[in-house]
Amino acid sequence: MKSFMLACVAAIGIAAIAGVALNSVQKPADRAFATEAVRL
Amino acid sequence: MARLLAQARFIIGALALALILAVAPLAHAQQPTVANPTGVNPTAASVKEQQLLNALGNGDAIHGRVSIPDQKSANLIHPAGRDWRHFHEVTLRWIGAIAILGMLVILVVFYLVRGQVKLETGYSGRRIVRFNGFERFVHWMTATCFIILGLTGLNITFGKPLLLPLIGEPAFADWAQWAKYAHNYLSFPFAVGVFCIFLMWIAGNIPNRVDVNWLKRGGGIVGHDHPPAYRFNAGQKMIYWIVVIGGTLVAASGYLLMFPFYVTDIQGMQLAQTVHAIIAVLFVAAMLGHIYIGTIGMEGAFDAMGEGTVDVNWAREHHPLWLEQEMARTGPNESQRQPMATPAE
Repeated sequence: MKSFMLACVAAIGIAAIAGVALNSVQKPADRAFATEAVRL
Repeated sequence: MARLLAQARFIIGALALALILAVAPLAHAQQPTVANPTGVNPTAASVKEQQLLNALGNGDAIHGRVSIPDQKSANLIHPAGRDWRHFHEVTLRWIGAIAILGMLVILVVFYLVRGQVKLETGYSGRRIVRFNGFERFVHWMTATCFIILGLTGLNITFGKPLLLPLIGEPAFADWAQWAKYAHNYLSFPFAVGVFCIFLMWIAGNIPNRVDVNWLKRGGGIVGHDHPPAYRFNAGQKMIYWIVVIGGTLVAASGYLLMFPFYVTDIQGMQLAQTVHAIIAVLFVAAMLGHIYIGTIGMEGAFDAMGEGTVDVNWAREHHPLWLEQEMARTGPNESQRQPMATPAE
């Protein structure tokens, strides 16, 4: 039971770290696909 | 003379009427309409419909031109996308349903026919360590993530036809959004777990002659035979390699999808999604078998990963060669197998 609880905590912890890391790397769509020099 | 003038007037009038009839449609086309208020023909400088159909028939992609940084958005139609859509909307659902429901049916029938594999010699009251705390920690971390990844992944394939009609669009949208986050982020502890499992148990999972004998005798699952095995029998080794190879493939293909266009193009991502989905549903089916035999399918088996210890008689029935190794390592007889063996609670 102790191993299971620790495993759940570790999974959430690693997932949270991954989430923060991914969000810092990836740009939101409105910035990733935007430019200041669009010709329409 | 008067007759000649009349004929000339008639000819000029006819020509004027013909000119008016010829020009009128063109003039009308330039008039603003309700559907096209600018009066500009939007297809004047574009391809004709027949060209589009020809291109689609040839399987070519149809590109346009855009001025935004994302040049991929200039891709108007890619016929290969229809094949991929048919795969994940139709073919994949059949593969998944057959694999998962088929495995469930097999397990239910097997349980009803064979019943639980009992501990024939009964409990000895003495226990031996089967998996230490770190091994159980890694197993449960991987297993917990796998269950959530499996459910959220199946939601992508089966959620729309099965769950959406039950809970409605608003609830399904919320659930699907959080399921997608969970699927993405829990893939990281899952991948860490698969890597740890690979390193942790590789030594005991190399196939050998004992496995051939174990397989020939059906692993003792059918009947009451108990073919010898070391720490991991051939069935457990199959599960190990399914986890290691299958886990690596789903993780690699999943990260290609999580980082679109970083590594491959749209065809590569369609292939990655196909590989990811097929392996994942087969993975789920295989793990259902693993969960079955580790819980209700075999008496005393869950203790190995639940508490970390198993009864000595259980080890003697199912893993006698491993028990011999442990006894040789820790002492010549059971009374000296401290601290490996501990009294049952």
